[in-house]
Amino acid sequence: MYGGGNTFEGIKTDSLAQEDPVMLAAFEARIDRGEKIEPTDWMPQLYRKQLIRMIEQHAHSEIIGALPEGTWITRAPGFKRKLALMAKVQDEVGHAQLLYSAAETLGKTREEMIHDLITGKSKYSNIFNYPAFTWADSCFISWLVDAGAIVNQLANAKGSYGPYCRALERICAEESFHLKYGHHCVIYLAAGSAIQRKMFQEAIDRWWPPMMHFFGPADKISAHTQVLMKWKVKMATNDDMRNQFLDMYVPKIWELGFTIPDPALKKNAETGRWDYTEPDWEEFKRVINGDGPCNKERLEVRRVAEERGRWVREALKTPKNTYVAPLA
Amino acid sequence: MKSLDPRVNRLPEVGQKGMINPKAPLDQFGTFEVFVQPKEGKPFQHEGVVHAPNLELAYVLAKETFTRRFTCTSLYVVDTRSVYVSPMTDGDQNVFELLPDSNNPDDEQISFELYQLAKRGKQHIHLTTIQAASAADAMSKAKQTADKTKVIYNLWAIPTNAIRFTTAEERDLWVTLPEKKFRDAANYKGGDKLKEFLERAK
Repeated sequence: MYGGGNTFEGIKTDSLAQEDPVMLAAFEARIDRGEKIEPTDWMPQLYRKQLIRMIEQHAHSEIIGALPEGTWITRAPGFKRKLALMAKVQDEVGHAQLLYSAAETLGKTREEMIHDLITGKSKYSNIFNYPAFTWADSCFISWLVDAGAIVNQLANAKGSYGPYCRALERICAEESFHLKYGHHCVIYLAAGSAIQRKMFQEAIDRWWPPMMHFFGPADKISAHTQVLMKWKVKMATNDDMRNQFLDMYVPKIWELGFTIPDPALKKNAETGRWDYTEPDWEEFKRVINGDGPCNKERLEVRRVAEERGRWVREALKTPKNTYVAPLA
Repeated sequence: MKSLDPRVNRLPEVGQKGMINPKAPLDQFGTFEVFVQPKEGKPFQHEGVVHAPNLELAYVLAKETFTRRFTCTSLYVVDTRSVYVSPMTDGDQNVFELLPDSNNPDDEQISFELYQLAKRGKQHIHLTTIQAASAADAMSKAKQTADKTKVIYNLWAIPTNAIRFTTAEERDLWVTLPEKKFRDAANYKGGDKLKEFLERAK
């Protein structure tokens, strides 16, 4: 599970003006009653658009997120770790399949989404534009990036769109082993030799800034998301999710005797929330717009896969076999 | 491109770097709905879709996508275009109220699998197998025997002969699933190691 840190398009105040007010009221009433929206129901254009964007980004994140971890399959320490990592990476790619299908129910085809990914039009979780230098980096991803994604996904699983909720429920159930596996790997590094401990400390030092970026821009600078929260597209603010992650995992990292490269990081006794150095949002913007250490490599891997598979898809195509949107 | 991943460095030169040829719209495989029976005696339930060039490959992909993790005793797939879908209702409106009564046509009767949605946001679950003249007639016939106290929001009718079922010989596809402990969270107990480490660190 790799989602998180979705970027939403800025919402113009008049974007609801052309919607039918009666239909809109009925739609909002249904969400207020706690009923799910299904693909054949009426929905505002803005709801459809932002959901496609969010689910598609999540799907791309699963596919691209499999790359930095997948790198370490051949070099994982020992047979058990190899088996586990292979199973985990396969799960993530499977999750992308579920998520693409959920987005397809809203009217964007699978191939359009793949095309938008490899041409750089669609985004994916920014954290995967950074490289996994060592085995410890792969452990950081399995434990803490997955943990961050779980915070995000558990919230989204309570959202209003039926197909996305069903996909997330399945994903969360399959995930249970990823987090335990990641923590297990890190405990073994922490309890290991001085070199193993140093390896994981360096991984934390490298991954902490992107981890803080993971939940998306601070509330005070992120796009206007009030209507998305009312429609249960977005279920918690970026800062709330970041704070929940810190609450759950900073003590566990400290428990293992590691340090976190932010001298300002501490829980504020008065507010009950975490204080931290403001992440560098300029860097976040720069990397998400294409100028990160691995952006080109990630997309090139997907592009080559697409090109190399082309003749197979074309050979298998028959006129009888036609794409339609999934039912649910 | 110089990558930390040796496999990326070995990628062949294909096409033009950074360029991708645009696709014609709908230049893609067909869609197939996937139904899984999680346990013996339980009804089949809808799990999602796969895209595949034909029914047989759809079955193979469905097995890998939907049944590599949890118990499964049987699986089937059907082309999405073969599924006949009723209107969707909400609140306390029962979908059966929108369906006409069956006029019991004399046409040739074939078998249909009926699926029902009992709660919005949940999955469609297998309701019954019914002999009828058409998918619409199958729904009307189901209306006659339906429990009217239970609200149903949506129905699907699928001609049984359009389905790619699991054969008797294929039922052992899933027998090794419980042995794959490396997919089980309970297989990763780090508590003792952690305790020992914390003792040492004191």
